[in-house]
Amino acid sequence: MKPFGYTAVRDTGEAVRLASRTPDAAFVAGGTDLLNLMKDGVARPGHLIDVNGLDLAEVTETPAGLRIGGLARMRAVAGHAAVRRGWPVLAEALLASASPQVRNMASIGGNLLQRTRCGYFRDTGSPCNKRVPGSGCPAVEGWNRGHAVLGGSDACIATHPSDLAVALLALDAVVRVRGTAGERKVPIGDFYLRPGATPHVENVLRPAELITAVEVPRSATARRSRYLKLRDRATFEFAVVSVAAAVDLRGRRVRDVRLAFGGIGTTPWRSPEAEAALRGNDLTAESVARAGRALVRDAEPRHDNEFKVELVQRALAELLEELR
Amino acid sequence: MTELVGRSVARVDGRAKVTGAARYAADQPVPGALQAFFVLSTVARGEVVSIDASAALAHPGVVAVLTHRDLPRLTVPAFPYFRRFLPMQDTAVHHVGQPVAIVLATTVEQAQEGAALVAVGYRAAQPRVVIEDAREPSYLPPPFRNLPNEIRRGDAETALAGAEVRLEARYSSATRHHNPIEPHTTTAQWDGDRLTLHESAQGVLATRTVVSAAFGLPPEAVRVVAPYLGGGFGAKGPVWPHTVLTAAAARVLRRPVRLVLSRAQMYTLTGHRAEYRQHLRIGATRTGELTSIIETSTAQLSATEESVFNRSDSTVELYACPNLHVRYEGVRLDVATSSYMRSPETTSHFGLETALDELSWQLGIDPLELRRRNHAEFDQETGERLTGKHLLDCYALAADRFGWAARLPRTGATKDGDEYVGWGMATETHTFNAMPSTASVTVGVDGKALAQLATQDIGTGTYTVISQIVADALGVPITDVQAQIGDSALPPAGMSVASATIASISGSVDQAARAARAAVVDLAVADPSSALFGAAASEVETSNGHLVHVRDRQRRDTYRAVVGRAGRPVQRTATVLNKAGHSYGVVFVEARVHARLGSVRVTRVVTAHDIGRVMNRRTARGQVLGGVTWGIGHALMEHTVFDRNIGRVVNPNLSTYLVPVNADAPPVVETLFVDKPDPASTAMGARGFGETPITGVPAAIGNAIYHATGRRVRDLPITQDKLL
Ligand SMILES: Cc1cc2nc3c(=O)[nH]c(=O)nc-3n(C[C@H](O)[C@H](O)[C@H](O)COP(=O)(O)OP(=O)(O)OC[C@H]3O[C@@H](n4cnc5c(N)ncnc54)[C@H](O)[C@@H]3O)c2cc1C
Ligand code: SF4
Repeated sequence: MKPFGYTAVRDTGEAVRLASRTPDAAFVAGGTDLLNLMKDGVARPGHLIDVNGLDLAEVTETPAGLRIGGLARMRAVAGHAAVRRGWPVLAEALLASASPQVRNMASIGGNLLQRTRCGYFRDTGSPCNKRVPGSGCPAVEGWNRGHAVLGGSDACIATHPSDLAVALLALDAVVRVRGTAGERKVPIGDFYLRPGATPHVENVLRPAELITAVEVPRSATARRSRYLKLRDRATFEFAVVSVAAAVDLRGRRVRDVRLAFGGIGTTPWRSPEAEAALRGNDLTAESVARAGRALVRDAEPRHDNEFKVELVQRALAELLEELR
Repeated sequence: MTELVGRSVARVDGRAKVTGAARYAADQPVPGALQAFFVLSTVARGEVVSIDASAALAHPGVVAVLTHRDLPRLTVPAFPYFRRFLPMQDTAVHHVGQPVAIVLATTVEQAQEGAALVAVGYRAAQPRVVIEDAREPSYLPPPFRNLPNEIRRGDAETALAGAEVRLEARYSSATRHHNPIEPHTTTAQWDGDRLTLHESAQGVLATRTVVSAAFGLPPEAVRVVAPYLGGGFGAKGPVWPHTVLTAAAARVLRRPVRLVLSRAQMYTLTGHRAEYRQHLRIGATRTGELTSIIETSTAQLSATEESVFNRSDSTVELYACPNLHVRYEGVRLDVATSSYMRSPETTSHFGLETALDELSWQLGIDPLELRRRNHAEFDQETGERLTGKHLLDCYALAADRFGWAARLPRTGATKDGDEYVGWGMATETHTFNAMPSTASVTVGVDGKALAQLATQDIGTGTYTVISQIVADALGVPITDVQAQIGDSALPPAGMSVASATIASISGSVDQAARAARAAVVDLAVADPSSALFGAAASEVETSNGHLVHVRDRQRRDTYRAVVGRAGRPVQRTATVLNKAGHSYGVVFVEARVHARLGSVRVTRVVTAHDIGRVMNRRTARGQVLGGVTWGIGHALMEHTVFDRNIGRVVNPNLSTYLVPVNADAPPVVETLFVDKPDPASTAMGARGFGETPITGVPAAIGNAIYHATGRRVRDLPITQDKLL
């Protein structure tokens, strides 16, 4: 492991200032992803800024909705009574993530910034454009069962692994970040970037910016929301495909709907086309099938992940049936 | 006193393990040891053309970087060293992840970072790493350890051509890795020409054989110590390069050296179950009697080693079939050498037991009934009657408990909620080996017993079973018995591989303990200060640490008093060689398949096994629970992925190489045993068992999925995309 310096900070301003002054610095929260990456030589920060002492761990219900501190632990959010009541998809997505041990340690901010599980990315012996820009992408012609069928480029087809981000996308959440120039808000839908020619740039965070909170608005769709995650073993595994659905139903009529997907896109994937196929219509086998087809219209499957195109449509149908 | 052998006795080492008191190989303090980390080849085929270690040497804490230029030339025997080449003897690269340099530093982190800083230049050629891409067609390799790679009985082709019913099918399974939770580790400490190794090894003596030969030393010059293992599953049976190279580095640097492989390094340095394909053709009568079996399998071989480890013993021997032709073919690939992995015969057995299921559907005969009709009463090769085989009892016991009679002979017939429910079964069998074993049992002046032998406990319960045997033979409480194993300096005993431990060692431990008991009784009856003085030895009973006159129970003494008065310990040894053989059983499985999503759950499993005498119910059941779980992994998820272009393993870690978690384990597993001592076994009637209770699980799951859905998947693992 590369030797690194370490500072534990007590104050958000200090964290940001220190990060902006220190070359090669990285924030560390639970460390459940960063330390793995460091041990594998994939991340090589020269200095760790431990933000666990910051006062950013609270989960509060406000009139507008929910405010989740950037350092709230996955476990705390998943078990929060207000979350389970008003935003069930969030609790379900978190409970379907990782293991109890990891959820005890892992923070919301860290979760949103975890790196892809693409095996080539995590193996320093392999080329990988995301890890070493310009070195090539072996996944495009190689093993790509876990990779994206939407939003990819010739440079990278890796999926974003966060279940939480998929749920937040279906909830129109907003990410609050703080940098040297103060605070700003980024809608979760604008937070992640598709790989294009620069797969090493994954989101709109600027250097030294800290995630301070995630805000989730209250809504009728949020109250009737669920998460379905399909994976290769019963638990403790990332999604093969996942679906977050939030619907506001009047009888069988869909008044409003949000659909977001994991495991199929290079970013957490929202499908306005699939939503449009349902909004204002009755929730029927036909309308659901239409939504599924709209979702995968532009899918570009590769050698090993063709099945995801079919599986995600079935997963959508399954989940909407449960929500009916 | 009730006998301990045969009962559910808790592990005697359990407390030490869960409290951390148990010291595994890498926990042994060795003052002054340098920490080693390998630099591994990043290419799969070619040559090292340059190594620049300057940046590594400049890194704080790095003491040395050794390459092929620095190491002595070493010679390793072909067995049990499975590669036929030792890395770092020249510049050739035969597979990805081959050691090309060793970095030595004060801390592990420094050594690892040093390794990242070594720049290696290669001349590389395009590798071929999967059977589909092989450069050359498959071929029949020469016999491996005198075992033929082609077996014929009768005239299989003619019999097949004339068969009333024929079945032809192809099966395959992916590469798998053992993944014991404790990584391989070696600590080497030289004292002149004497070497001590703290090693995670399934065979302390086998390790000694290889390492002493490598350095041209007599075996006694090397001591191998392995008191505990965090699993082995075959990965720690053979001796691998890291052990020899670590000892070589310590010799060169004249300092103790410790190496712990990383998880990823274990995917190229310590063997695996080879990628495998199987072509089966079966002929049968209309009533289901097998008349011909023709099987050709193809296994991945490496560039340096052409041994086939996935043998088809069950195809050859499990069922009565007069005509047979089995060929073990292989293809050479630029992949590390494979080896034995827990239950090597599982690989081919999946095909055989799936084919029989297919035949049962084709003939409209219940799959269990089909197996009964082909039950082998005689050894298919020698014609000898198989005495002590109780497979039919296993069928009856488990079928009854499972409720098999209620099975509906139609696919897709049962639906529960969103899931189709299916039942499947398969026979289980595996060979076990037996190795000569000597044990020594000492009764000390404190009356406590010590059993010593150079076997190992790989997590299966060896310590416990030895303690039970000694406690019974002497008539002392189990808490007064200590077992000392895992050290090559102890009396020579069997390796813990090939389901051989209990079958190999039990007889010698029992006999040594009985001899020690007799010696103590002799002391007592000859000792004027004993209440037993003058009694006949045959009149003395031993129980709970006491020696008691059978007719006059007031006349009694204790081990402690008798040996204490004698003033020195009583020690006896015994040597026993048991015979190799087979264990048998059956597994019934209920599986549920989600109708829309194709996901599979195994919800109920019932097994029954015939393993001779059951030495410890609890540890035997542990083997079944582990075996069923392992079988679920084999059937549904485990899969090592190679990148076909760059030749690297893409998933060398436990977060992407999936093994079952608790939630994948069936809520109900019932484990039944026939429990009849095998008269042919010198191990107190016990047979080897560790590998048997996996063998049928993958096929039973596949057969249950077929029953549930009508979908036959012949390529493992059965991931949900194959069931959409
Ligand atoms: C075995 C395993 C299984 C897992 N399975 C799942 C799963 O099924 N689904 C899933 O969604 N996730 C899964 N995860 C990922 C897990 O959720 C993440 O590792 C975790 O959420 C990261 O949070 P952390 O606090 O530990 O982040 P860290 O590891 O501390 O940091 C991760 C990254 O975020 C940065 N960072 C952390 N906090 C902030 C902040 N407030 N502002 C700015 N930057 C910050 C760090 O610099 C680093 O780059 C799994 C992880 C493991 C180890
Ligand atoms: S898919 Fe992306 S992360 Fe994976 S190897 Fe290609 S560039 Fe790297």
